[in-house]
Amino acid sequence: MSATPTLTERAGALFHRYANPGRFLRLGVKLQPWLTWPALILSLTGLVWGLFFSPADWQQGDSVRIMYVHVPCAWLASSGYFALAVCSVLSLVWRHPLADLAAVEIGPVGACITATCLATGSLWGKPMWGTWWVWDARLTSVLVLFFLYLGHIALIRAFDDPQRGYRAAAILALAGAVDLPIIKFSVQWWNTLHQPDSIGLRGAPTMSHAMLWPLLVCTLGFTLGFAAIVVARLRAGVMESRIRSLLSGQHRGEPSPADGTPVGEYAA
Amino acid sequence: MTHLPYIIASYGLAFGLALFLSVGAALRLRRDRARLAALECARGRRDRVTRRGETA
Amino acid sequence: MKRKTRRLWLVIACVGALGGAAALTLSAFSSNIQLFMTPSQIDAKPPPADRTVRLGGMVVAGSVKQERKGDTPINRFEVTDGQSAVTVSFEGILPDLFREGQSVVAVGSMVPGGGFVASEVLAKHDETYMPKEVAEALQKSGKWDPKFGPPPNAASWNAMTQKEASAAVQGK
Repeated sequence: MSATPTLTERAGALFHRYANPGRFLRLGVKLQPWLTWPALILSLTGLVWGLFFSPADWQQGDSVRIMYVHVPCAWLASSGYFALAVCSVLSLVWRHPLADLAAVEIGPVGACITATCLATGSLWGKPMWGTWWVWDARLTSVLVLFFLYLGHIALIRAFDDPQRGYRAAAILALAGAVDLPIIKFSVQWWNTLHQPDSIGLRGAPTMSHAMLWPLLVCTLGFTLGFAAIVVARLRAGVMESRIRSLLSGQHRGEPSPADGTPVGEYAA
Repeated sequence: MTHLPYIIASYGLAFGLALFLSVGAALRLRRDRARLAALECARGRRDRVTRRGETA
Repeated sequence: MKRKTRRLWLVIACVGALGGAAALTLSAFSSNIQLFMTPSQIDAKPPPADRTVRLGGMVVAGSVKQERKGDTPINRFEVTDGQSAVTVSFEGILPDLFREGQSVVAVGSMVPGGGFVASEVLAKHDETYMPKEVAEALQKSGKWDPKFGPPPNAASWNAMTQKEASAAVQGK
């Protein structure tokens, strides 16, 4: 083996610095308030702004206000799944233990967000389009994303040996990532009932700034909220894995766990 | 507001989801912290007992 | 450590192969994924009368006619994609967003000599989100008539506030 580390090795070393569960718990305790409070304040500001202080649309009227819930959920459903795919690569290639625990926790939160995206979309479609549901490419690909989340949740818990569950679920999550570009481009590649994107990298948003700002505030708030909930669940997940190893007697007789986190550090 | 029920239902769903997820996470954290503290405490006591046993 | 590099390449190769397979499948079934047929597609290859199809396009300005049969309204309108047009008849209440110049999707079948008979009409709305005042100002200024097509370039109006728009409408 050569003396200079390869790129994969260096990347691995970088990831493993943050793989130590004790270090993550300390970081998580510090990070939590910086996620939770901005998430709460921004989401509430954005929703109140959207509900009461933004203009009604010229053709949709007040129903356009459903957008301030639906669109951030839709974006988060996709980016949450992207995070799941990233965790899967870290798990499959670098056997990153924290990535496995993160994948376990991201799944249910992402599934809830995707369900909310679908439900609010239905609630928007009924008064505007005249139907709750239509099998167009956008709606169907998001429904597929929801089932991918459900499959991941089931698969990662399906084995007696958690390691096998992590491997299988990571493969599923990576394979399912093919759905992400399909969701994104479905409204361009095929004709759909769902309208094309209003906000893109090319060209000005086809949306009044009076509606764009509350939408962006909501999106930032929801995203921080997603992160806050995932971090909180991940902290709990790390503690649970330590509880399991304590109960199984692995540490019996050892003076302290490998990373030496004293009990006091769990108190946030 | 012509389609008020649909708008209220959407915002209600968002609030319900946020409440469900955050309360769930907070309860889980609290429970795990307590269990872990109890376990480590018990182990600490056991360690002391074994050590005393060794010196005696 | 060599194993990790190999695993990384394996993962990249698998994702690439899967993506390629998905792309090929989707392009092969592309016409089945389309939600609706356009009027020119229907003109070129009329579907058999017993087959339910979805027809999508823009409602032609000035083509909407409504009669009443008892309580239910009977609507007739033309749907176009800019190249050809199909006459649609629909018995029932049209969705709120239905108007001339709006994109719609009609579910139904072609009746020989009778045009397209719809059992359901869905309204599309475009990706333009605009306060009422701004829409009025654009129409007053003569830059846009919603009956004849999409609004002008978004950069020309999306920073306009409701106040400015109201002032512009009142000023005229």
